[in-house]
Amino acid sequence: MEQRYPVIRAVAEGSILVEYEEEVSLEVNRKARQLAYGLEQGSFPGLEEVVLTYRSVMVYFDPFRVDGETVRDFIGQVNANLVEIELPPPRLFRVPTAYGSIHGPDLDRVAQHTGLAPDEVIQLFSAQAYPVYFLGFICSLAYLGGVPEALHVPRLATPRPSVPVGSVGFAGPQANILPVETPSGFNYIGRTFVAVYDPREFPPTLIRPGDYVQCPDVSEEEARLAGQKGLGEFVESFQDH
Amino acid sequence: MKAFRIIEPGVQTTIQDLGRWGLMRYGIPTAGAMDQRSLVMGNLLVRNPDKAAALETTLQGLKLQALTRVAISITGADLDPWLNDQPAPQWAAFTMREGDVLHFKRRKKGLRTYVTMRGGIDVPEVLGSRATYVRGRIGAILRAGEILSIGPSEFEAAENVLAVPQEYRPDFNRTDPIQVLMGPQDDCYTPRGIATFLNSTYRISPQSDRQAFRTEGPEIEIAKGPGIISDPIPPGAIQVPGDGKPIVLLRDAQVTGGYAKIAIVARVEMDFLGQMMPGDTIRFQRIDRETALGLLRQEAGRLDEVRKLLK
Repeated sequence: MEQRYPVIRAVAEGSILVEYEEEVSLEVNRKARQLAYGLEQGSFPGLEEVVLTYRSVMVYFDPFRVDGETVRDFIGQVNANLVEIELPPPRLFRVPTAYGSIHGPDLDRVAQHTGLAPDEVIQLFSAQAYPVYFLGFICSLAYLGGVPEALHVPRLATPRPSVPVGSVGFAGPQANILPVETPSGFNYIGRTFVAVYDPREFPPTLIRPGDYVQCPDVSEEEARLAGQKGLGEFVESFQDH
Repeated sequence: MKAFRIIEPGVQTTIQDLGRWGLMRYGIPTAGAMDQRSLVMGNLLVRNPDKAAALETTLQGLKLQALTRVAISITGADLDPWLNDQPAPQWAAFTMREGDVLHFKRRKKGLRTYVTMRGGIDVPEVLGSRATYVRGRIGAILRAGEILSIGPSEFEAAENVLAVPQEYRPDFNRTDPIQVLMGPQDDCYTPRGIATFLNSTYRISPQSDRQAFRTEGPEIEIAKGPGIISDPIPPGAIQVPGDGKPIVLLRDAQVTGGYAKIAIVARVEMDFLGQMMPGDTIRFQRIDRETALGLLRQEAGRLDEVRKLLK
């Protein structure tokens, strides 16, 4: 039997998971973003927060203020009018990035794996604007997708125990900019000094799901100068396709 | 007002409150006290709001000196606290005088102790909370020599009559199973795998911290995955990765992830989990959502009784 989406199911005492089609695509992610946005805009008594991921949305609520059935009804109503939910216009963050040498410990590995010259890897990667599917993991990590197929490289067999904050890397179709120093198995080829995460600010990142991020190739000096500015200095409007 | 100097920070001491909520959508876990019930009881004892910040100290070794007169309480694990050369009261309010030294000598029962002080620890709120979240660069583990300030409060000596009666203190020696709600991805495991999960004893491994318990024990048979398209991780989620060993995610855990979750720990159990440590054994028992809500309501009722008693 064909599965009908979305699948809505109770999780814990105060959480309900809504799942759209089981795939990573902008089309499916858009539905999840619309639902999350619609729920946040509409809100309802007892709503705690709405957490978006690739294809699913977790609705957290206070089970002593609102019962699960009522929450399901709210979800059903918003989902029924999904196509009418207009998302905020996407923006493009162009974050100056220094590639290679000490900032790109995996550049040679990527070059070897793809058969490209290191310069070609940088050019190909930095030319692309990557869509933000959602914010998650820790410290507002933006889950970027859409890495060109010519650059698809698996994760490291053994994750590095520590990768510096601001490192720019990818694995398979996914990319990220590390918001803090952390272990990671991605292939890191560059680094930005612009802070993408700042817990002293609300929200702790300016990047929103649905935005795009690009990492233009600049000199080390330019990258460091850019790091003295806030992320807000590097945002422009973006023409969505 | 400067209130304490850390002489020795112990194994791990951080500032915690009830955590920062509503920020998982920005990829920020709640953090906060691992045993919130003990923190709240401590705050009640010194007449603080529930959410006032306190010290959470782990295992042993914390030694601090009072720089002024201050009403405090010690709740949570029994880490054998001494006030100068006398055993210090626990689950009761008392007054420290300038120069007094409080020392947690060794763990006897439980894992984490809360030192609450009237006025609460005064550090700036970050994203609406004073809770330390080390991985997120919010606060840090305390070091020797640091000075702690407390918030404004009219000084009053502790009221010695204030104590949490024995029957309301959590039982840190309990050995009954941890109650869990199955799902959301229990279909990634075979019926035999589910039976293994619910009928086995797991031992908490040394690689455990405020983020998660890893466990050792019988392997849970996987039907599919266990990699999934990354999705939200509710607090208390139990992931079972490819090695078939459950990982219980705690208050500092990542908020999204790509492993299937076989079950979620009932919310009412989270405080007790915060008192478990490597080497402890753990079993899981399934309950339904209604039962879990009932337990939560019951627990809230008990806390309200304590609230009235300490009024």
